[in-house]
Amino acid sequence: MARSGQGDHASHVTPEDVRRLCEFLYRRTGMLFSDDKRYYIDRRLNERMAASGSPSFQSYFALLRSDFDREIEHLVNAFTVNETYFFREEHQLRCMTSDLLRSVIRDRRPDEPIRIWSVPCSTGEEPYSIGIWLMENFPEVDNYQIEIVGSDIDTRALASAAEGIYGARALMKLPRELVARYFEGVTADTYRIDPGLRDSIHFTKVNLVDPREMARHRNFDIVFCRNVLIYFDDASRRIAAENLFDCLRPGGFICLGHSETMSRISSLFRVCRYPDAIVYQRPEIERDQD
Amino acid sequence: MPLVKKSAPQASGGITVDDDHAGLLQKLSSPEPDARWNAVRVLGNDPKDVPALAAALAIEPMPHVREAIMTALIRIGDETSAEALLPYLRSPDAARRGAAIEALQSLPSATAPFMLALLRDNDTDVRILAIELVRGMPPADATRLLCNVLEQEGHPNVCASAVDALAELGTPEALPALQTCAQRFAETPFLPFAISVAIARISDANGG
Amino acid sequence: MTRIEQAAASLPRVLVVDDSSLVRLYYRDVLEKRGFDVDQAMNGLEAMERVLAQPFDLLIVDVNMPKMDGFSFLRELRRSKSEAAALPALIITTEAGREDAEEARAVGANFYLVKPVSEADLRDHVAVLTGYRR
Repeated sequence: MARSGQGDHASHVTPEDVRRLCEFLYRRTGMLFSDDKRYYIDRRLNERMAASGSPSFQSYFALLRSDFDREIEHLVNAFTVNETYFFREEHQLRCMTSDLLRSVIRDRRPDEPIRIWSVPCSTGEEPYSIGIWLMENFPEVDNYQIEIVGSDIDTRALASAAEGIYGARALMKLPRELVARYFEGVTADTYRIDPGLRDSIHFTKVNLVDPREMARHRNFDIVFCRNVLIYFDDASRRIAAENLFDCLRPGGFICLGHSETMSRISSLFRVCRYPDAIVYQRPEIERDQD
Repeated sequence: MPLVKKSAPQASGGITVDDDHAGLLQKLSSPEPDARWNAVRVLGNDPKDVPALAAALAIEPMPHVREAIMTALIRIGDETSAEALLPYLRSPDAARRGAAIEALQSLPSATAPFMLALLRDNDTDVRILAIELVRGMPPADATRLLCNVLEQEGHPNVCASAVDALAELGTPEALPALQTCAQRFAETPFLPFAISVAIARISDANGG
Repeated sequence: MTRIEQAAASLPRVLVVDDSSLVRLYYRDVLEKRGFDVDQAMNGLEAMERVLAQPFDLLIVDVNMPKMDGFSFLRELRRSKSEAAALPALIITTEAGREDAEEARAVGANFYLVKPVSEADLRDHVAVLTGYRR
């Protein structure tokens, strides 16, 4: 496929090349792409080849392996949509109400809270989405106390989250009734989240690799930790995974970003395959294997 | 509204802030898994702790605590850490071997001094695992080590691993050794095919 | 042949699971020449995804060190309630030792071969296990 600026030189990328790229990405970041994502990889790969001035896959791959100019980060960025909005990755929210909560409430008394964590929560779209989704889709929502916590290392993002004001673009995936129910218009283009909902989310600052900070967050039933572990180096990823393990109740679940896998990162969790999502679970009882 | 804001941080359990270093080392051998888990996660800054961590790793029954001990060793990341992890390459337990390999893969420069010996180990499986570790080294160094393997190695599966690694990161220096190896194993299944692919990939990558 | 034509001709579909791209290329080369439709996965995780997404007639799974996740993939598959749970599996191992044979039986492997695998052995066993001979 010839790119403008490369003259007549076609950067011919074969399916085998894409495979080798995927293998490398998996080893370095734990990102795993299924077949239906392959066209998506082709496009991103060609973008990065053009951006790095690589005339062939071979030369790009060598550049990538050496992580020249932080190319791995550029490539990973190309794969993750960095824009945040309400009801992003809805299939995981669906999994939460269809499957995960069923497991969580199995032995849960009504006076014992259900705790859900969004980390990193950025400007709050994710924790608020979780709240809205639960109220709309969890039939037992009134029978339990649900605590939702949103955390991030970026205090400006947290301040913004606590304010709860969003542009129309962030609401684009929400059906109109939900916008009407949970937001009020501020200007033509901005909306404020319902104050009751806003005040029910607890926002905290946290650094995923700081065990002491993380230890103040405990007993979670479900954690959403999307598209951040892929950016960490090996040691930091392990530390973050161990911290997250510690923050979960036994039997608690963690949801990663699409294409992320935990098994490359950590063997602490077991894989759970549900119709709507693949999630990871802290084992119910710590059993020694000896 | 069923959504409830809990503003007080959860105080129960978790990392104790107050333990001094000696206290943490003591907790490493606590009969309580949680105490060991919490102590290990705060250790990992001081190379002098490697012997204590290595000793703890040898007897730790809980998988998640073992992971955390290895993380502490990775964070220290010097040659003594790498050395503490090496014995697990020989473990009869696949999970421990896998965990050790992953940990060592994060420490390419700390592992470098041990590579020659590992690549000459008596155990075929250890030699194959060592080749996995070579993949993390800079291409020039890796190529040199892998060519050495191709020249000395008798077992076709070990050569196959070396060829696979060279196909990924080999420099043109590897071409003569690859060709010689192909001749040596001309009658074995798979290796001649693998070597021809490796040669093609290296040549392509270098404008050949 | 396009995928549609292959399906119409009901060529057996084989999934090769091995962490070495050269090994996967080799098996694909050998088997495609014999008319099999070959797909590949580089580890147990990817294998599980493929097996749940598309129909296969045979799995070829590498279970050698250090990536024992070949065995854990098969264990998880056998335990699953999917249609793929009972798929025949040809296991490729590095040891002819008893340990591997027992483990192979435990995960319902139909046969095992020791690496490096010859073209003839691969072709013959795949033909038998898929019931396909040209």
